[in-house]
Amino acid sequence: MNKVIISVLGQDRPGILAAVSGILFKQDCNIENVTQTNLQTEFAGIFIVAIPDGLTPSALQETMKKELSETDLQIYVKPMVTKPPEDAESGHDPYVITTRGPDNKGLVAGITKTIAAHNVNVTNLTAVFKGGLEPGDNIMLYEIDVPASADFTAMHDELRTRADELGIEINIQHRKIFDTVTMI
Amino acid sequence: MNKKEILSSLDMLQNENLDVRAVTLGINLMDCVSHEIGRFRENIQNKISGVAKNLVSVCDAVGEKYGIPIVNKRISISPIAVVGAPFSPEQLVEVAKTLNETAKMVGIDFIGGFSALVEKGIAKGDQALIEAIPEALTQTERICASVNVASTRAGINMDAVMLMSKTIKKAAALTSDKDGLACAKLCVFSNIPQDSPFMAGAYLGIGEPEAVINVGVSGPGVVKNAIDRAVSENPDLDLGQISEIIKRTASKVTRVGELIGREVADILKIRFGVVDLSLAPTPHVGDSVGEIFQSLGLTSIGVPGTTAALALLNDAVKKGGSFASSHVGGLSGAFIPVSEDLNIAEAAANGFLTIEKLEAMTCVCSVGLDMIAIPGDTSEGTLAGMIADEMAIGVINKKTTATRLIPVPGKKAGDYAHFGGLLGHATIMPVNNCNADNSFVKHGGVIPAPIQSLIN
Repeated sequence: MNKVIISVLGQDRPGILAAVSGILFKQDCNIENVTQTNLQTEFAGIFIVAIPDGLTPSALQETMKKELSETDLQIYVKPMVTKPPEDAESGHDPYVITTRGPDNKGLVAGITKTIAAHNVNVTNLTAVFKGGLEPGDNIMLYEIDVPASADFTAMHDELRTRADELGIEINIQHRKIFDTVTMI
Repeated sequence: MNKKEILSSLDMLQNENLDVRAVTLGINLMDCVSHEIGRFRENIQNKISGVAKNLVSVCDAVGEKYGIPIVNKRISISPIAVVGAPFSPEQLVEVAKTLNETAKMVGIDFIGGFSALVEKGIAKGDQALIEAIPEALTQTERICASVNVASTRAGINMDAVMLMSKTIKKAAALTSDKDGLACAKLCVFSNIPQDSPFMAGAYLGIGEPEAVINVGVSGPGVVKNAIDRAVSENPDLDLGQISEIIKRTASKVTRVGELIGREVADILKIRFGVVDLSLAPTPHVGDSVGEIFQSLGLTSIGVPGTTAALALLNDAVKKGGSFASSHVGGLSGAFIPVSEDLNIAEAAANGFLTIEKLEAMTCVCSVGLDMIAIPGDTSEGTLAGMIADEMAIGVINKKTTATRLIPVPGKKAGDYAHFGGLLGHATIMPVNNCNADNSFVKHGGVIPAPIQSLIN
């Protein structure tokens, strides 16, 4: 059975999930994972779906677009290529990067460039910029997976330097400390 | 992970002075014993520098990983009065110098364990060690001494109390140019714990393992901020609810301490011992136990209501901490060291806090009359009386109490004493009956161990 990824974007309103999942059910598709996020007034959903033999991703995309033509929802369906599992020996350490400081253009670009340069993957990013100079109003939270092969100390130092240049305060801590403090 | 949880944890970690105050490596020195002083000194230096060689670098690396500094890395050792029993006082001063050099070699600021346990009697090694203490603490910077003179099961050894009074006076006289600094590194105990990570009272007990990591987590700033935040959101909180807030905060703080202690222990391949839950202040604003009393609504630490507030605080910290970790030990109570806590030192200078009130407070917390500068002309009899009173509180209440009193040479009540660094500074507090002879303590002998029933 083939898998596809479906992204759904549009203005948030009641009934989006019901409409999308209803079409998938009628097409005999099986939803394996869904995540949805609301940013300000916008809805964004990503579905991983197993589709029956004989249904192609492009045919499913056409059907969905047609059925949802009355709405402003943007639908994109793409075949999913499953990656083989990584070697057990290449362990990753999860870290959390938090930044606070005055809002400026280029904050996300500045931080992610340094992270990417060390071949470190961002697994989750939440950023809120209300604008202005109040540090608590402008926050970025990155969850990253640092591979054993990465030079953590060098990345740590470069991120600090970069944060200084951007005028923001940065903290880089192993995720376990947050789990320890918040979980029983 | 939840954004709100991350940010609230981050506030606690970054903005409220949460750190790991001390990671203390306990090292057993029993296998270093020799009757030959040169060999003994070589053995202890080799053993300590071998076991502790990576202590500082590992603590720094773990601190960086979690973004939580480990402020003090320290070592506690088997009591020198036992392992160095064959030696003379002069030879034991040389042992102290070797320990001081070893501390420098491994990059730590204090070694604790220049200690003797004499609650029931003074053996030859104990006598020599106590005689060596004044010179040893004068000629070294990084050695801490402690002497246990009382316990609930043994009673109070009043001969030892008197001897310690004389020892403290002598140590003060030898360091008169530094306001009696040697006395700031000397504790007299009842019911001394075998596993405390905190100086000056840390030593490694006879029943402890070959090597062990014990952790002291601070957190007075975290507790104060948690109370302030809760009270500003709801000024009508009752004291039961405030206790609950302190309890939850202590639980989080303890979990951080245990996580970091266990990781250091794992990397060093040394057994993890205990988390000590004590709230330990430093002479910095925002890192004070005294300020918590103001957050609880008292004008100052020392005014009526203080003992009740301290009882609430100490109990809530213990409840939260003991829920968070199954391995809690050491002193585990709130410290009230006068010179080491800016707010407490101010309360003493302003007259809100007296020695008698401090003594009352030690009935409901650890550690005792701690870092109190007293007039230099306090008589040996009066000083011994102060020690005996504090020991009695510990013995009867089945708890640890201690004194770290500094009779500042040439200075009187109201004058200012400065010890430097984490030891802080304070106004000298007046002592009742300061210069008098005290024939009670001079009777000597042992005050018998107390009855364990009829508890009123």
